[in-house]
Amino acid sequence: MPQRAEDEAGGDDASRVARVWKLVSAQAASRRGRASVADVCVAAATSLDVSGAWVTAGDGINPGQAMCVTDVVGESLAEVQITLGEGPCHDAAVYGVPVLAADLADGTEHQWAVFGEAAGRAGAAAVFAFPLRIGAIRVGVLGMYRDKEGPLDTLQLGNALILADIATMLLLDAEDGQADDPLSGAPPASQSPDLAAHHAEIAQATGMLTEQLGVGITEAFARLRAYAYAQDRRLSDTAHDIVTRRLRLDPDLPG
Amino acid sequence: MDQELLSDTFVDLADTMVADFDVIDFLHLLSDRAVQLLGASAAGVMLADPRGQLRLVAASSEAVRLLEIFQLEGEEGPCLEAIRTGQPVSEPNLRHAQQRWPQFTTAALQAGFTAVHALPMRLREQVLGGLNLFRDQPGPFDPADMRIGQALADTATIGLLHERNLRRAEVVGEQLQAALNSRVVIEQAKGKLAERLGLDMDSAFTTLRIYARDHNLRLSDLAQTFIDSDPADFPGLTPPAHHRHSQ
Repeated sequence: MPQRAEDEAGGDDASRVARVWKLVSAQAASRRGRASVADVCVAAATSLDVSGAWVTAGDGINPGQAMCVTDVVGESLAEVQITLGEGPCHDAAVYGVPVLAADLADGTEHQWAVFGEAAGRAGAAAVFAFPLRIGAIRVGVLGMYRDKEGPLDTLQLGNALILADIATMLLLDAEDGQADDPLSGAPPASQSPDLAAHHAEIAQATGMLTEQLGVGITEAFARLRAYAYAQDRRLSDTAHDIVTRRLRLDPDLPG
Repeated sequence: MDQELLSDTFVDLADTMVADFDVIDFLHLLSDRAVQLLGASAAGVMLADPRGQLRLVAASSEAVRLLEIFQLEGEEGPCLEAIRTGQPVSEPNLRHAQQRWPQFTTAALQAGFTAVHALPMRLREQVLGGLNLFRDQPGPFDPADMRIGQALADTATIGLLHERNLRRAEVVGEQLQAALNSRVVIEQAKGKLAERLGLDMDSAFTTLRIYARDHNLRLSDLAQTFIDSDPADFPGLTPPAHHRHSQ
């Protein structure tokens, strides 16, 4: 019996993030694995009143690749957009904003002639696409579909955004090759998946590290997190020290 | 009220909306002008994140203490009340507000603010955020000024959404999230520029805004391109050669 988002992840405070995270980690635990974007997809499909979900990895410039899907319809929706270079997920990746197409049949709202038809044939009436990003760091898209038209309600939208934040962190972890670290069942205590609450200083410190280390923004963020983790310090405290110029990271040392 | 500045402000806001529009730049213009026009010492714009929190997207100053106050407002305070009720919330003397908002009031008083006024940013039945005004003297904000303030806040609300078709209910969520993301990109770019030129964050932000205006770029587009760029791509945002070598 699917759990309703309203029961599991309602409310109006920071613990809402923790409750959404619980949906993901419970899914990982049920298959005795480490949390991954596949668990995010299942959590989306079971908690947001959508028919299926998928995650594609990509930087928004090059075509993405499907990382996980919950069903065959989701699979074909993910792949047809990569192939066509058209559709809500494609737009979400390129423009970096959520694209919420609550009624694909309404041609006055959207410009995806080919995708719209293909989606209809596959059995989707609505598609919602969320970019996986932290500012300029872009790692992919979380997509979901409904077999009946209709928008996400406010609570579902908020929870979908939180799931997108969690998927972003999980994809970054996977890219960092941290797949074997022992933090499987819970988010690292020092590095909450509550991306939206990320202090401005974390973003500023990440930008500063691109110059200090001579690396791209995604790598700079990985180095910031790795340093905080290695020192057992909160990400926001580490960022504060960098922004106030009490700490510089050395380009020659990893992490 | 400086009538000329008021006229200029509406002209500037309208210009920003007609020309290539950047929502964060626009909301910063709003918070700067709110200070100059409305007898406030500081101002900030907070948006209601669909995740259920309030987020600061623009402020008249980067003073750390001011930013901390805004952060507290995610939990309690006049802006949260204004957004929940859709009505302006005023506290002319924060020394009397300790019980109403304990943490917020303590932080605001410590930072030297003694009066606050929060104006909701409304669109029909929805409240998207709030314009928050602080003053370093107790006493009520002028009612005529606050009517102007509400007009500015309403203009900002339209500006926030104007790019898109308002008939679709989903647009508000899309636009709020786009604005919140833009803010993060700009913070990252500020950090990069601050490190490169040895600037503080306020100066880095001003430099980026001026560069964007001078080159007819949207601030968030500039920020994104600058983050992905090599130093050679932005000669105007590169230190003189001797400075770079001395590092």
